[in-house]
Amino acid sequence: MADGRVARLLRSAEGVAYWGAVAPVLARMPAALGYRIACWRGDWLYRSHAAKRANTERHLRLFLGELSRSAARHAARDWFRFASCEAVDVMRLRHRARPLRRLVEIEGREHLEAARAGGKGVILCCAHFGSYNSALSVLHTSGVPVTTIGRWQYKYTAGMSRFERRFWDWVLARRVRRHRQRPMIEPWPGRIEVAALAASALRDNEVVTISIDAPPLDADKARAVDVRFLGTHARLVPGVVTLARLTGAPVLMCSVYRSADYRHQVLEISAPVPMAGDTAAAFGRCVAEVSSAIRRSPASWVYWPSPVDFDNLGMTPPNRYTTPVRRLIPVGV
Amino acid sequence: METVINDYVSRELVQDQSLLPLADDTSLLETGILDSLGLLKLVVFLEERFGISMGDTDLLPENFASVNAICDYVRAREPGRTEATNG
Repeated sequence: MADGRVARLLRSAEGVAYWGAVAPVLARMPAALGYRIACWRGDWLYRSHAAKRANTERHLRLFLGELSRSAARHAARDWFRFASCEAVDVMRLRHRARPLRRLVEIEGREHLEAARAGGKGVILCCAHFGSYNSALSVLHTSGVPVTTIGRWQYKYTAGMSRFERRFWDWVLARRVRRHRQRPMIEPWPGRIEVAALAASALRDNEVVTISIDAPPLDADKARAVDVRFLGTHARLVPGVVTLARLTGAPVLMCSVYRSADYRHQVLEISAPVPMAGDTAAAFGRCVAEVSSAIRRSPASWVYWPSPVDFDNLGMTPPNRYTTPVRRLIPVGV
Repeated sequence: METVINDYVSRELVQDQSLLPLADDTSLLETGILDSLGLLKLVVFLEERFGISMGDTDLLPENFASVNAICDYVRAREPGRTEATNG
């Protein structure tokens, strides 16, 4: 137990040192070198976080049955590399994100512009996939007014000290916030104005982003619907569909892929997703898009290491795999 | 106005039938009748039905606490009332 606490403290201290001191330096280096060093740190974490690595690899194999053992290992290693590179992305948001803009290509911008021409705003449907916060900042600085609906993880992770919360606000949130049209719309329990604030942004023909793969909060569980996700069932909140129907805003999907050199990224924006049919069917189409993005780049999805998140998503492995997720090794917060 | 709003809330927002008939002073927040998307539906309805326009600063829980509170709010925002207030 004591060892576990010490290890957690050391990991936490390493994370603080990396985000607070190392990543800002890496972000000022030539990109090839900065991201290379970030990958080395990712490799080190991959080797040293045995439980997290094991959970990531097992989840990858359980939910993406087509992955071989070596492919799962490779994807898990990339997961750690991507997490390290994300810090460099955030640090490159300085000077109106110019240093990052050079590395992020936006594909499908014409879909976004055509959708905005309708004058009802656009809902950009994302997932916790890739370096989406930074990529959306790049989109905003390219002239598209972006507002995000979402909760900062550090605000509700249990067991975090006040210092840690302040640190993540200083090192991460404030840099991202700077590149948004409006303050982040945070859907906490009891904040009933969330959807109306989003509608207000849409009414001004802005782009509102929302991640649809977040585990529902207890207060939202009654609204969650059963959808096919990664070959199994998941319980997710279809708020995006209701928001689209009430406001008339088109829904476009967006995914962020990191290239093989780890420094270049592509932000892909789709054509509008049809919202016809019942809510579950329309939402299912959005979730299917997220599933296919994850299959295309498994290492980009943030939830792989966490059995708790899989439980909260109501996901159990597809029938062809018999190992229950609950038996996997729990990861410390 | 109370009847119109009560009918709308009862028909469109109340999921738990045991809460019906809905009293005008029933708390819409404490009973869980009004959630985020429910508020948006209600805002769209009030804007269309009563010709008012709501800004971000109007989205306060106290304005939507009950049917009575909504009516008070709408009355204060109705075009005729605004002109009268402006003199």
